[in-house]
Amino acid sequence: MASSSSKADPAPEAGVGRTVNRAKTPSIGKIGRASAPYLLILPSILFAFWIIGYPIYDMANMSVHAVNRFGKTAAFNDFANYQRLFSHQLFIGCLIRTLVWTVFVVGGTVLLSVPIALILNERFYGRTLARIIIMLPWAVSLTMTGIVWRWSLNGQFGMVNATLSSFGLQDTPVEWLATSTTAFPILIAIGILVSIPFTVTVILGGLSSLQADIFEAATIDGATGWQRFRYLTLPLIRPFLNIVLVLNFIYVFNSFPLIWVMTQGDPANSTDILVTWLYKLAFRYGELGIASALSIVMFVILLALTITYAALAMRNERSQA
Amino acid sequence: MEKPVRKSLLMWLLLSPLVIVILFPFAVMVSTAVKPRVEVLMYPPSWLPSEIRLQNFADMWEATRLGPAVLNSLVVSIVATVLCLLVAIPAAYAAARMEFTGRKLFRQFLLVTQMLSPIVLVLGIFRLMAKMGFVDQLPALVLAYVAFNLAFSVWMLQAYFQTIPKELEEAATLDGASTVQRLRLIFLPLAAPAIGISAVFIFIYCWNEFVLAMTLLRSPEKSTLTLQTFSLVGGRYQVEWDHVMAATLVASVPVAVIFALLQRSLVSGLTVGAVK
Repeated sequence: MASSSSKADPAPEAGVGRTVNRAKTPSIGKIGRASAPYLLILPSILFAFWIIGYPIYDMANMSVHAVNRFGKTAAFNDFANYQRLFSHQLFIGCLIRTLVWTVFVVGGTVLLSVPIALILNERFYGRTLARIIIMLPWAVSLTMTGIVWRWSLNGQFGMVNATLSSFGLQDTPVEWLATSTTAFPILIAIGILVSIPFTVTVILGGLSSLQADIFEAATIDGATGWQRFRYLTLPLIRPFLNIVLVLNFIYVFNSFPLIWVMTQGDPANSTDILVTWLYKLAFRYGELGIASALSIVMFVILLALTITYAALAMRNERSQA
Repeated sequence: MEKPVRKSLLMWLLLSPLVIVILFPFAVMVSTAVKPRVEVLMYPPSWLPSEIRLQNFADMWEATRLGPAVLNSLVVSIVATVLCLLVAIPAAYAAARMEFTGRKLFRQFLLVTQMLSPIVLVLGIFRLMAKMGFVDQLPALVLAYVAFNLAFSVWMLQAYFQTIPKELEEAATLDGASTVQRLRLIFLPLAAPAIGISAVFIFIYCWNEFVLAMTLLRSPEKSTLTLQTFSLVGGRYQVEWDHVMAATLVASVPVAVIFALLQRSLVSGLTVGAVK
């Protein structure tokens, strides 16, 4: 009856009909309605607590207890694991390299991605093809990218040396990944290369949201191309740049496969960053106490970065609403 | 606006260094994968082989036991994608459509878990799986992949769901549609593209994942494709690079093609989901 009347009656009436209808249903329906959203999100929360939350708790617990190499925890040990971590001879080096790695990869990526996005935002022949090519490294797994570059950079048979020498840019072949002065810069360059697609995508999203008329107005007012970029484009895509900076910072800080596949931190730990060292501590040297302490330290750093990101994202959402 | 030829040339010229560096590894893969083995380790190396040996792929497929690895990767990726969507869709629906206390907290919770990477938690995850007796079992990988894709999927889906007009569903309710009918006939068809895009992202993540596979799997017959390919290179004195490059080609090309074909919708999906 309610449905037939709601079709004929004007809208406000229909609304009343609905509330009456709801009021008539017993209180079970009400409880069901109130608990429905919680039931819907419950599986995802349980999953996250099970597979992500428990390991964090477990490692935090392990990091403040004495622990043997098989993972059996004993007495609380006054943060000795953290002391051993911070005083470890490799810790400072890995920390500094992680910072260098993150700052250079993220900085290089953003500096290159802005002009690339500007180019891809122009209209020109073959733009779709150009976009597809530039997105390609994103689709290929970092493991495969690392393997192919490792072969390409091989001192004797690699195509990098062959190409450089065929253009007369090089006299003697270089063992890129086995030389401590070249290995890390090469890794940074490849890190930049694989971070470009995502970054360009986000910046392009920002550029395409800009209105053309303000640029036309600025041109009529005599603004040069550089001025338009500096005083219009850059401030307007600022929120997108912020997000890309924070997200890349988090991704690159955690980046493991490239370095693991190409050098495993060699030669002589000169390319080890915190994540690769962490993996060695945990699964090669059996230093579970130090490894769990390091995991927790990194988790805290990530949490701080994430809160920054969440604040930025929320602010964006508000300004868009 | 017109697209003059000269401008197009300039644009391509500006992009050319990057385009070359991006295509370089693909050229190396193809070149090495079809070379006769003696030419792979020949000095100085050359781009063009004396003959194109497609037989390399067949040899590689046998010698590296890539078939089972491809199968493992397919099974793990598909099961993880389906499971992840089954958990994520209801949560995203609630986050997008329902008012409830703690909604904001849930969204913040999503943002935070989205950022956690497996490598930082890998020791704890290994211990958890060991405790549950899942080490060297493919389900361990499925569970971990679902967990690490959930936040991203829920976030992206709820951003999409918000763009689907509520009024359609409300009209259906007025016309007497039950909740199930409303979801099945109105909401899900409209949400299908978003769900499809999320599925592609989850699948690619699983297909390409390395750290968890390396940590949780032990026996070679359980290896996924990335792990199996890595094992051809890692810790070996003699690396058969023609086989390795053929394997990387087999692993990368399907995903790259999917990505290229769906580029436009993937990118728009990501800008709705990740940036918003």
